[in-house]
Amino acid sequence: MANQKTVDPNAVKEKLAKLEPQLLALQEELGNTSDKKKRSRLIKKIEYTQGKIKQAKTGERLSRQTKRDLVAYSFIAPNFIGFCVFTLVPIIFAFVLAFAQWDGNNAMKFVALDNFIQAFQNDRFLASLKNTIIYCIATVPLTLICSLGLAIILNQKVKGRNFFRTVSFFPYVASLVAVAAVWNMLFSPQKSGPVNMILYNLGVAAKSLPKWSADKDWVMFTVVLFSVWKNMGYYMVIYLAGLQGINGELYEACSLDGANTWQKFLYITWPQLQPTTFFVTIMLTINCFKVYDIVYMLAGGSNGVLNKSAIVLVYHIYEEAFRNWNLGYASAVAMVLFLMVLAVTLIQFRGEKKYAN
Amino acid sequence: MKVQSKSYKFWRAVLYLVLIALAVLMLIPFAWMLSASLKLDKDVFIFPIQWIPANPRWQNYVDIWTKIPLSKFVLNTSKLTLIVTFLQLLTSSFAAYAFAKLDFKHKNLLFMAYISTIAMPWQVYMVPQFIMMRSMGMNDSHMAIICLQAFSAFGVFMMRQFYQGIPDELCEAARIDGMSEYKIYSKIMLPLSKPALSTLTIFTFVATWNDFLGPMIYLKTESKKTLQIGLRMFISQYSSEYGLIMAASVLSLIPVLVVFLALQKYFVEGIAATGVKG
Amino acid sequence: MMKKRLLGLTLACSMAAMALAGCGGAGGDSEPTTAATSETAAEKAEEEATTAAPVEAAEGDTVLKWAVWDVSSTVYYQPLIDAFEAANPGVKIEMVDLGSADYQTVLATELTGSGSDFDIATIKDVPGYTTLVNKGVLEPLDDYIAKDSIDLSQYGGITDQVQVGGKLYELPFRSDFWVLFYNKDVFDNAGVEYPTNDMTFEAYDALARSVTNTNPGEEVYGAHYHTWRSAVQLFGILDGKNSIVDGNYEFLKPYYEMILAQQEDGVCQDYATLKTSSLHYSGAFAQGNVAMMNMGSWFIPTLIEKIKTGEYGPEVANWGLVKYPHAEGVEPGSTLATITCLSIPTSAPNKDLAWEFVKFVCGSEGAEVVAKTGTIPAITTDAVVAAISGMEGFPEDEASAEALKTANTYLEMPVHEKSSEIETVLNEGHDNIMTEGSTIDEGIEEMNEGVAAVLGQ
Repeated sequence: MANQKTVDPNAVKEKLAKLEPQLLALQEELGNTSDKKKRSRLIKKIEYTQGKIKQAKTGERLSRQTKRDLVAYSFIAPNFIGFCVFTLVPIIFAFVLAFAQWDGNNAMKFVALDNFIQAFQNDRFLASLKNTIIYCIATVPLTLICSLGLAIILNQKVKGRNFFRTVSFFPYVASLVAVAAVWNMLFSPQKSGPVNMILYNLGVAAKSLPKWSADKDWVMFTVVLFSVWKNMGYYMVIYLAGLQGINGELYEACSLDGANTWQKFLYITWPQLQPTTFFVTIMLTINCFKVYDIVYMLAGGSNGVLNKSAIVLVYHIYEEAFRNWNLGYASAVAMVLFLMVLAVTLIQFRGEKKYAN
Repeated sequence: MKVQSKSYKFWRAVLYLVLIALAVLMLIPFAWMLSASLKLDKDVFIFPIQWIPANPRWQNYVDIWTKIPLSKFVLNTSKLTLIVTFLQLLTSSFAAYAFAKLDFKHKNLLFMAYISTIAMPWQVYMVPQFIMMRSMGMNDSHMAIICLQAFSAFGVFMMRQFYQGIPDELCEAARIDGMSEYKIYSKIMLPLSKPALSTLTIFTFVATWNDFLGPMIYLKTESKKTLQIGLRMFISQYSSEYGLIMAASVLSLIPVLVVFLALQKYFVEGIAATGVKG
Repeated sequence: MMKKRLLGLTLACSMAAMALAGCGGAGGDSEPTTAATSETAAEKAEEEATTAAPVEAAEGDTVLKWAVWDVSSTVYYQPLIDAFEAANPGVKIEMVDLGSADYQTVLATELTGSGSDFDIATIKDVPGYTTLVNKGVLEPLDDYIAKDSIDLSQYGGITDQVQVGGKLYELPFRSDFWVLFYNKDVFDNAGVEYPTNDMTFEAYDALARSVTNTNPGEEVYGAHYHTWRSAVQLFGILDGKNSIVDGNYEFLKPYYEMILAQQEDGVCQDYATLKTSSLHYSGAFAQGNVAMMNMGSWFIPTLIEKIKTGEYGPEVANWGLVKYPHAEGVEPGSTLATITCLSIPTSAPNKDLAWEFVKFVCGSEGAEVVAKTGTIPAITTDAVVAAISGMEGFPEDEASAEALKTANTYLEMPVHEKSSEIETVLNEGHDNIMTEGSTIDEGIEEMNEGVAAVLGQ
C-alpha cells in the first residue's frame, strides 16, 4: 500500500490506550440498554471505534470508513455536481429571495417576513392553499389504489396484456389539449353532455345539473377525477417495475399453505412493494402539490386565468412571478409549499424506517 | 373443483369487461386527436363533436412539414432526448447505488437534499437559473436544456427505491469474493435493475420529448427549436390551427409509444426470472 | 448478452473516469464522455453558424435585434424591415420570434438583469407594458420624441393613455378597435334588416332577438360573445363616464342583465359551454349560424384570408361590418382599442439606431406599409381607411367602410400600476356572473371588494 507509513510503536500505544477503554465502555453500555434506537446508535459507535483501533494498529492514513466514503462519493459525484450547479444553487437563491422584494431587475430589498404576512392576507393565496390541500387529499389515495390495482391486474397472464398496458399509459403521454378537450366534452355543462345526460335521466332537474369545470362548486371534483384518470398509467408503470422485484417462490410457498388471493396480496405483494409504495406516495404527493397545468387546461378558459374556486399554489406562484413579477413573494409562497411537502415526506420517511426495522 | 372453475370463468369475464371499458376510456383522447387531425381548425372544438370528419383533410399531414421546419425540430428534439436520457440513466443509477447499498457520511442529509428539491416548483427558481445560465453563455443553446434535464433528483430517488428491493446479501457475497463496488454495480446491480432502468428511460424520454417551457425560455434561434415549440407555432395571436397541431401531435406520439412498447417487455423478467440465489 | 455486458462495463468505467478524474480504478477509453464533449463542440460550431445565418450582414453593418412573435403569420414585419433597410443603408434588422402565447413572459425573462442584447421590443398588451415599465427595463422615449419633434396628436390621444408617471415608454404602430361583424345571409334568411352604424343597445338587443332561431337542429344565434371579459364588460365604459380601474362596477349591471337574458333565451351560446369547449370565436362565426359578433378589427384580415383560401365556406362569405352599438345619447363610433407598440430596452446595445427604427415604424411611412397589408396602423388617416376598405375581399357596402371610422377609443385595459391584478379580479367576477355561479349583484360586489383590496395594498 502506497500510503502506509512506518509505524511508530509509541504513538500506536498511546492511541490504543485511549481507544480501547472507550470501546469497552461502549460495549458495556450496549449490554445494559434495551432501547432499539439507542442500541443501533451504540453499535455504530462501536464499529467506528473498532475502525479507529485497526487504523492505529496498521498505521494507514485513510481509515476503512473514509475509503468507503470516498468510493460512495465517487458514485454520487457525476449526478450531484450537475444537480448542485444547475438546480441546487438557483434553489438556494430562491430561498433567500423569499425574504426579499425583487422584480428580477431592480436592486433586491430585504423585507424579513413581509412576503409571508402578505401571503396569508391574500385571498388568492388562501384559496389556492385550500384547493391544493383538498386536491392532494383526494387525489393521492385514489391514484395510488387505481394504479396499484391496474398494475396487479396487468401483471397477470391476461390476453392482450401489452395492449392494455400501453393503452393505460396513453392519457399520460397524449397531448394535454386533447385529453382536456375530451374530458370537458364528457363533462360538458350542457344537458346533452354524456355525464349530464345520465344524471338527467336519473332524475336530476335540468336547472340543477352541475356545470362541472365551469362550476365553482364542482370544478375541483372534476379536476380530481381527471387527474386520477390521466396519471394512473404513469404510476402503474412504476408499480409494474416494482412487481417484477417480488420473488415468485414466495407466492408458491404461500399457495402451499392454502392462502387465497387476498391473503397473498396482504402478506406478500403489499409488504414486498413497500419501497415502491414509498416512492409512489412521495412522488404523488409532491406532484399533487405541484399540480397546475391540468387545472389550467381544464378550468382556465380562453384567457387562462384561474378563479379562486380552482386556483392552486403553483398557479398562484406563476401568476405572481410572471404576471406581476413579485419574485420575492412567489418564492415565499413556494417556501410554504416546500415546507408542507417536506413535512409529508419526513413523516413517510419515518414510516419507511419503521417498516424496515 | 367444477364450481371453482365456473366462478373463475365468471371473474375472468368480469375482468376482461372492466379492462375493455377502461381501454375505451383511455383511448378516447387518441380518437379525438386522430379525428381533430383531419379537420379544419374551425371544426375542431365544435359541440357536439363530429367523430368522423365529413371531409377528412389528409392535407394536414402534408402541411405540417411545409408550414414549419418540422423535420429540423424533430431532429433537434431527438438529439436532446437521446442525450438527456442517456446521461440521466447513467448518472442516476450510479448515484442511486451509493444511496441504496453503501454506507457513508451524511448519506441521509444528502438524500434529503435531493428529495426536497423535487418539491420546489420550477417556476420559482426559473429566473435565477436563467440569469445564471446566461452568464455561463448557455442562452440559446442546446447545452442549456441538456444541463437542466440530465441531472434530476427524480431519477436518483427512483433508482434508489428499486435498488433497495434487491437483497443486500447479493452485494455482501460479492464483496467477500473481492469484487470492487464498481464491479458490483456493473455486474450485479445493472443487469438486475432492467425493469427500473426501463421505467426511468420511459419517463425521462417522455419528459424531455414533451418538455415545452424549458426550450421556450432558452431556445430562440429557429434552427435550434424543438418539436413542442413547433407545435405552439401553429397557435398565433389571432388564430390557431388545431387541426395541424393535432396532426403533428399524433406523429410526435409515435416515438414515445415505440419506446414504451420496446421497453415494457422488461417488465416481465425481473429478479424473479433471473433468480436471486445465484 | 456479451454486448450488453460490455456496454454496462464501459458505462461504469466512463462514469468512474468522469467522477474520479483519473485517480480511480478505471481503465480503458471512456466513450460517452468523449461523445459528450464532441457534442459540445458541434454545438458551438452550430451556434456560430446560426447566429450569423438569419441576417446576411455585410462587414460594418449594424444589426438590430427585434423581439417579435408570429413571424410566419404576420404579414407586415418583413415589408417594414425592407422599407427601413432601404432607407437606412448599413443597418440590418434581425427578428427573434419569442412565440405568441408566452411572449410577455419570455420577453420579461429575457430583459431581466442586464445581459440582454435586444435593441427593439414589441409590446403586446398593456399589463405586459406596465410590468416592464415597473421593472425599469424600458427606456423613456420622451427625449427622443422632443429631439425629433414627433407630433403625438397623430395617435389620436392614445399615447396619453399609456404614459406612466408622466413619461412615455412605447410608441404604437398598430391599433385595433372593436367592431360588430355580421353575417348578411343570416339576416336575409330571417327577412330582417341589416344592423346599422347607429344602433343603441336596445336596438341591438331587439335585432339579435329577431333573427334568433331556437328550434333544435336549426339553431341560429342572434349574437355571439367570446368568453373574454372585454366582450361583455367593456360595453359599460363606452359612454366615457366610467373607468374599468376605478373600483366601482355598478355601471356594468344593465349590460350583464341584457346578456344573461340573451343567454337564457338562447339568443347567444351558453358561456359555460363555450368556456369548457375552448371554441375560438373565429370557429364559432365560421359555422354560419351566428348573426352578429363583436370582435376586434384584427379579425378582418383573418376572415378575408380564410374565405379566400376556402377554409371558410360560403355560409360566411357574405359578411359585413358596423360600428359598435352605443348607449343612449352617446356618439356612435365609440369603441375599445388595443395597441401594439415598440419600445427600446434599457440594455439595448444600439439605442440611437433603435430609435430610428421605432420612429420609422410608428411614423407615417410605417403606417402606410402596415395599412398595405390590411392591418390598421396606429395613425389612421382617411387614406389608411380607404386603403383597407378598398382591399380585395372587404365587404363592398358603404356602411362597412364607414364602420372603420372611430369617434372615441378607450384602451381595453388602461395603464395602471396594478393593471394585471385588477384584470384577474375582473376576470373572476365576469366568469362567476356568466356561469351563474353568482348573481349579477354578487358578482359586482365581488369585483368592488376585490379591486378595493388590490388598490388598498
